[in-house]
Amino acid sequence: MIRSGRLNRDLDDEIRFHLEARTEEYMREGLSTEEAGARARRQFGNPTLVRDESRDLKLFPRLESILRDVSFAVRLWRRNRLVTGAALVSLSLAIGACTAAFSLIDALILRTLPVDEPRSLVYVALRTPAEPHDGLSFNYPLFREMRAATSRHLRLFALSDQGRRDAVFDDSGHVEKVYGQWVSGDAFALLGVKPALGRVLASTDDINPGQHPIAVLSYDFWTRRFGRNPDVLGRWVTIREKPLQIVGVAAHGFTGVEPGIITDVWAPMMMWDDRAISDPDTRWFRIWGRIRAGVAEEQARTVLQTVFSRFARAQVARRPEESRERHDQLLNTRVHLRSAATGPSGLRENFARALWVLGAIAGLVVLIASMNVASLLVARATARQREMAVRASIGAGRSRLIQQALIESLLLAFTACALGGFLSAIATPKLVSMISTSATTVRLDVRPDWRVFAFLGGMGLLVTFVFGLAPLRHASAAQPANALRSGGGRHATRAGSFRPLVAAQIAFSFVVLFLGGLCLTSFLKLLRTDLGFDTNDLALASVTVASPAHDAGQALASWISLLERLEHTPGIESASFSRWGLFAGSGRNKSVRIPSRPIDAYAPWYLQVSPGFLRTMGIPLVAGRDLDWRDARPELPGAVVVNESFARRYFPGESPLGKRFFRIDGGSTLVAQDVIGVARDAKYTSIREPAPPTVYEPFRPENAAVIQVRTRLEMGALLASMRAEVPRAHAAFRLADLTLQSTLVDNHLVRDRALAVLSAFFSVVAGVLVIVGVYGLLSYTVLQRTREIGIRLALGARPMQVVALVLWGIGGMTLIGVAIGAAGAALTGRFMTAMLFEVSPTDPWNIAFPLLCLLLACAFAVVIPAQRAARIAPTTALTVE
Amino acid sequence: MPRHEAFQGSLPLLVLKILSRRGPLHGYGITVRIHETTDDVLRVEEGSLYPALHRMEEAGWIRAEWTITGNKRRARVYEITSEGRQRLELDERRWVAVNAAVLRALKNA
Repeated sequence: MIRSGRLNRDLDDEIRFHLEARTEEYMREGLSTEEAGARARRQFGNPTLVRDESRDLKLFPRLESILRDVSFAVRLWRRNRLVTGAALVSLSLAIGACTAAFSLIDALILRTLPVDEPRSLVYVALRTPAEPHDGLSFNYPLFREMRAATSRHLRLFALSDQGRRDAVFDDSGHVEKVYGQWVSGDAFALLGVKPALGRVLASTDDINPGQHPIAVLSYDFWTRRFGRNPDVLGRWVTIREKPLQIVGVAAHGFTGVEPGIITDVWAPMMMWDDRAISDPDTRWFRIWGRIRAGVAEEQARTVLQTVFSRFARAQVARRPEESRERHDQLLNTRVHLRSAATGPSGLRENFARALWVLGAIAGLVVLIASMNVASLLVARATARQREMAVRASIGAGRSRLIQQALIESLLLAFTACALGGFLSAIATPKLVSMISTSATTVRLDVRPDWRVFAFLGGMGLLVTFVFGLAPLRHASAAQPANALRSGGGRHATRAGSFRPLVAAQIAFSFVVLFLGGLCLTSFLKLLRTDLGFDTNDLALASVTVASPAHDAGQALASWISLLERLEHTPGIESASFSRWGLFAGSGRNKSVRIPSRPIDAYAPWYLQVSPGFLRTMGIPLVAGRDLDWRDARPELPGAVVVNESFARRYFPGESPLGKRFFRIDGGSTLVAQDVIGVARDAKYTSIREPAPPTVYEPFRPENAAVIQVRTRLEMGALLASMRAEVPRAHAAFRLADLTLQSTLVDNHLVRDRALAVLSAFFSVVAGVLVIVGVYGLLSYTVLQRTREIGIRLALGARPMQVVALVLWGIGGMTLIGVAIGAAGAALTGRFMTAMLFEVSPTDPWNIAFPLLCLLLACAFAVVIPAQRAARIAPTTALTVE
Repeated sequence: MPRHEAFQGSLPLLVLKILSRRGPLHGYGITVRIHETTDDVLRVEEGSLYPALHRMEEAGWIRAEWTITGNKRRARVYEITSEGRQRLELDERRWVAVNAAVLRALKNA
């Protein structure tokens, strides 16, 4: 600043010297002082322009003029705190939300796996003509054949799904939950994952079923559970009843191949289940592969297709009793190789579309906010028109004025970006925890990477251009002549320059409100869905048996005694068992054979339950009787209760009571099932789909079960009394995971809740921004037309006519905006259909909702300016300016 | 007020020539010499001399210092540098060659 001050003074002095010398020259020639001075100035040209030009070329590349503009902009901000505050808040909110959505998209979708050369990784997918999704689960015999056949083109390896498992470490003896994954021995080598401690699995660790009792921990789990203690090597952990010795810890950063789910323990596939290794009907893992250098993907695919087709033909020959439909499906299945660079993620599939929608909504909100800022800046630029014109008339170059306007918007944009980045850094972990459920903790690496920063920078530039351009036109159009005119003249047309902004704003917010309305309606419908059972006052806990009893009858007796103890506990109304809880993420399908009907492709759902399960869950029995303990005795054939949709599907038009059908076990064993009761439909694992045909079969003692307890007790009190009762029934019983049935159901609504909450938030922001925008435009119009309105009133116009006059313009803009917005909504609605539950984007109510909201917002915004217009006194109008 | 493009291009050359002949001069003095030597043929805004002077100063062809004139006023006086002299020689030769070529072309075309 000091430098610039002196420089300006010097330049001024030099110019003044010239002018004085020239004036004296003319005076010597006989001109009067005034004439000489005027002539000297005319002769010289524009001193300000000369000064600015000289200064700019003297000051190293304009740096100083930029700094000066920055400080000028800051001074202007200070003078208009309210305007600047409103602009900054709306922009930062919008940018922050947009960046948070982008960070998640980045972490879930754009980042590649933390393994060697992710681009040459593929996974194998099956596509049957009738199915909309890839089939990703494979059986071991097929995998073995595929691996042998393709070894020259493609090195295949296998990874089981990451599941939450009970594990007992030998240092504590308690049951803990870990995310375990069973992998083929060469998986670590092919992924390029090295050990951080000890060793990782090798091909030689995965040869004979049940013969390789070892495990590898993830670095993250080693840190969390063992505090990075190297003594962990050699310890034992029991998972799925198999003791495994810990031989190593995988490299830091490798957390498995599913973005969003982190693996704790890896074990060889041979340790999963001896029977599954040779069973072509058990599908339990995904197949991955690394393409060898120089091999075309199609070549590898063809080999895999040959192997699969051979397998499919063998499978069809083995099952002549199955329906033609099912055989055709199998024979027409195509094998695909899909790029695995970012890891196939169930989480990703579930959230990707929702995230893109949220990102788009946030983007629209940023645009709306930018337009508000643009209107504010235009309004101020117009107010400063005279100042600009004065500056132009004293010779400030047009490029200087443009530079100053641009710098002001850049500064605003980047301040908003910084604030927005900060907001997003706070909000992103909250978003991640919103999409986590009690069953699967989502741990995503959401530290900002270069993409997030590039995105923020891009937003800054975009925003600068969107709102920097409008005031720019004003700055560059500043004509010296305008300074001479007083406020009258062209005001009406100037107000017109931000009417299109308001129309665009209304159009964008229409789309945002439309999408928000869809998500919210869909979520509310999901919440109100009848599940078929009563989630109120229903708690679940899992019970595991530490040392299994050898005698099945004895085991059953201890389970019965546990149930009786619980039912006699004060505060517990009823209690029951099932193999697993409804909506807990597990389920089992078994094919059935109904006498005199062909076996079809559909496999109904099965659940083992204790007597009283239906009563405790609140599922009414519509015919027959409930199961009792006699039905659970191992020597008896299976008495079962089926639900109504099972009855409708397999026994249409007749009562299923007393009917017999067969469950198909392991491909060919038929187990007789006698229907003794019919229960009302209840949903099993999905809220969106109708209740599936379900068979409730008697509970048979195994090493784990889930207890349902209907109680009004508080969770704390319930936990205390269950802790006391469970070991009393049997010393080996362990209690874990006390939760509410409603929590399990809620876990299925995470995506919908996140969408509904966030889009509702964005809708409110959009609505507020529209109110601010419309209010700003109208107040400004009224202010500008004060004199005209005053004259009209003086000439006898009624206040209502004046209000109508003022509202006329905004009404037209609103209509245009709504029309454009409705068209946009129709386009985006189709993209949403897949995510919505019982909500149609073309439903008139869904169009009416944003319309009503916008009309309300506009009505709210126009009240004050309209009143102000109506109250203008003719006398004040005459004194304006 | 249109600018005289041909004159603008040759302005540095004129300034260098004047400074090399007459020694140190202030901006006004340079203006007066230009008017005298060109018989007022090249009349433009006098102000446009100053950015040209400052540009030449930044390029190092001339240097400037503040002096106090006879009637106690601050004046900025410009002086040609050795770099400026080399430039002058080069530009003068080129200017003469180009002009001769243009003249020939005008006569014989």
